[in-house]
Amino acid sequence: MTSTFKRCLLAATLGVSIPALMATAGIAQEGSTIIVAQGVDAYSMDPAKHSNFPTANILFQLYDGLVTQDENGEIVPALATEWSNPDELTWRFKLRQGVKFHNGEDFNAEAVKASFDRALNPDFKAPYFSRISHIKAVEVVDEYTVDFKTEKPFPTMLLSLYEASFPALIVPPKYAAENDGASIAAKPIGTGPYKFVEWLKDEHVVLEANPDYWGGKPAIEKVVFRPIAETRTRIAELTSGGVDIVVDVPPEDMASLDGGDTKIVTVSSDSLYFLSFDTTRDTPLKDKRVRQAINHAIDVDAIQQALLNGMGTRTALTLPTNGFAYDSSWQPYEYSPEKAKALLAEAGYPDGFEIPFISRKGRYMKDAEIVEATAGFLSKVGIKANIQYLEAGVWGQISEQKGREGIAFPGWSGRDPQLVWAPLLTTGQYQSYYSNPELDELLQAGASTIDTEARKEIYKRLRTCQ
Amino acid sequence: MANFLISRLLYTVLVLFGVSVAVFFLIRIGGDPSALFLPPEASLEEIERFRALMGFDRTLVVQYFDFLGRAVQGDFGMSLRYNQPAMQLVLDRMPATLQLGGAALLLSLIISLPLAIIAAAKRDSIFDRASLLISIIGQSFPAFWLAIMLILLFSENLRLLPPSGRGTWAHLVMPAIVLATYSTAIITRLLRSSMIEALSSDYVRTARGKGVRESTIILSHALRNAAIPTLTVIGLQVGALLGGAVITEEVFAYPGVGRLAIQAIANRDFTVVQAFVLLMAALIVMINLLVDLSYGFLDPRLRKRK
Repeated sequence: MTSTFKRCLLAATLGVSIPALMATAGIAQEGSTIIVAQGVDAYSMDPAKHSNFPTANILFQLYDGLVTQDENGEIVPALATEWSNPDELTWRFKLRQGVKFHNGEDFNAEAVKASFDRALNPDFKAPYFSRISHIKAVEVVDEYTVDFKTEKPFPTMLLSLYEASFPALIVPPKYAAENDGASIAAKPIGTGPYKFVEWLKDEHVVLEANPDYWGGKPAIEKVVFRPIAETRTRIAELTSGGVDIVVDVPPEDMASLDGGDTKIVTVSSDSLYFLSFDTTRDTPLKDKRVRQAINHAIDVDAIQQALLNGMGTRTALTLPTNGFAYDSSWQPYEYSPEKAKALLAEAGYPDGFEIPFISRKGRYMKDAEIVEATAGFLSKVGIKANIQYLEAGVWGQISEQKGREGIAFPGWSGRDPQLVWAPLLTTGQYQSYYSNPELDELLQAGASTIDTEARKEIYKRLRTCQ
Repeated sequence: MANFLISRLLYTVLVLFGVSVAVFFLIRIGGDPSALFLPPEASLEEIERFRALMGFDRTLVVQYFDFLGRAVQGDFGMSLRYNQPAMQLVLDRMPATLQLGGAALLLSLIISLPLAIIAAAKRDSIFDRASLLISIIGQSFPAFWLAIMLILLFSENLRLLPPSGRGTWAHLVMPAIVLATYSTAIITRLLRSSMIEALSSDYVRTARGKGVRESTIILSHALRNAAIPTLTVIGLQVGALLGGAVITEEVFAYPGVGRLAIQAIANRDFTVVQAFVLLMAALIVMINLLVDLSYGFLDPRLRKRK
């Protein structure tokens, strides 16, 4: 094989981006209420004070960011109507006019500045601080124009401002400061399509349509979120009519729920499943041919079919296929145990070897099952992968000490190479187990400009790095 | 009596201290939670920054005494996930758990007391066999499995009961049955054997000889003597119903303390786990104290000894 990007990107073996999955029952049209069951309750109603997607699913209805994403994953206007870059270190946003918060406060440049000043204050302790920490200052240009200033070029600015960066949601400045923030954490006020009605902890959150929403009044009058942790109970609620939408349906239940009164809806996500190889220690994984052999040894399609019910999109590299830098001409490794064995023999391991294989269990959908199936495929070419499951906290500790030896199944989420490849592959980054000066240079170049076309070219050039 | 109470109180303080040490250090064996709160691409510096903000960078012993110093003043710290006082989160969910635990206890007493008394009075009868069967089944059914089966039957097939949540009496039925199953089994078994022992004792033979009515012998003579071991077990069961409803609350999405605790453990929300465990320990110690005190009312000999 010629030198390809895949070799640089050690983490490419199980490139599957996993979709979010939900089942819906027939939703009533008029006078409508929908009840949504998620695994856990909200942790806070303050968007900058949590780090949890089920909470975010509720808060996205209440608050808006400056930008949002459409169903194709494109970043589109929300509270900002347009944006430009007067220079590499400035992002200028024109704001939507005539928008009011649910309590009547005006949405304007001051509100944007105050929202970011609040979340960027270290004493505020925003868990997702790092998503916005590149923003050095937010300056008011006029009532409906703001400038975001950065110290270095910040190519992922728009991804950092859309709602999945939790502290980027805009809060009403006066209300958010009330009672030291306790008011907004209990009774949220935003500009979003729904207004807050009630939060009974661990029971439900009730929202009602905001008739004055800038995007038009929502079609569904009332939305209720209920936390139901046990999957079987969630499904029982759906089939018995207690709730209308349930999330996180296990793949094995998809068939039985897709038909009759219920249907399955999948949406592609930024979740990435892959293996990462430690090339910093003296193990067979240091040899590129061994890493290629592992790629050839695993039947990813079979795993996807058998364990994920065919869900997910197989990717050649660790990026969602809708990411701007993803090139659809990239091909994943073909499944070929023969090639794997040949490569192993060439590398001097005709009888295989033993290697640790670490993962967490229950952190990602079907993670343990996938890890076990992978080890099964590896054993067929003689590689004995010793699986060890780690507690989440232990995983964190080991990671910080750069102690992920052998093969790891880390799981990731991100759409931009800067959010995926830079932390995983740059020399010296704490989650990187690889070093290649050429790759480092290109990743650095990709991080140093906000010109999307230029960045695309840079990431394309990564393919040829040796 | 006063001495007894004072010594018990000291003992309580000692138990709570021991529990606080155990919970504090055990939950931290699983590692520091800082990375769990941050996005995957967060750098090491960002993790360290967060750790310092949360005070996790200090040595464990220092952290423990800081925690202890605040806890004795009633401050159990802020929940790492909810950003609210940890003890308040636990106390907010107590009424739901008390309601469910109360319903389960009532249910298990309504079934187990008469069943055990009749079984003992009519040994080897159909009641006796039934009580044995209930004891065996009740003790061997895993709560998790039973809960799912009930949901399948009563919610999915018969559509009689809501599978989850809280609000009406109908929401209580299935979780109360699941919780009561084990307690019913254990109370029935114990009371039956205590009753059989009491009924074969000398004073019962004497009473029978005097011509006392059988119902009086059973309900007044034998039951009072069989009550002491049973009460001990009921006391333990009350503790188990309050603190041990974890699985039941989780499966039925019942908003009680057990569910809060299991999520706090999964999330490494240290402060909430500590508040939950300490509150439960305090409750269980108190229940045991009440049970001990009640012995005196049931058995005059014990009262004199104190």
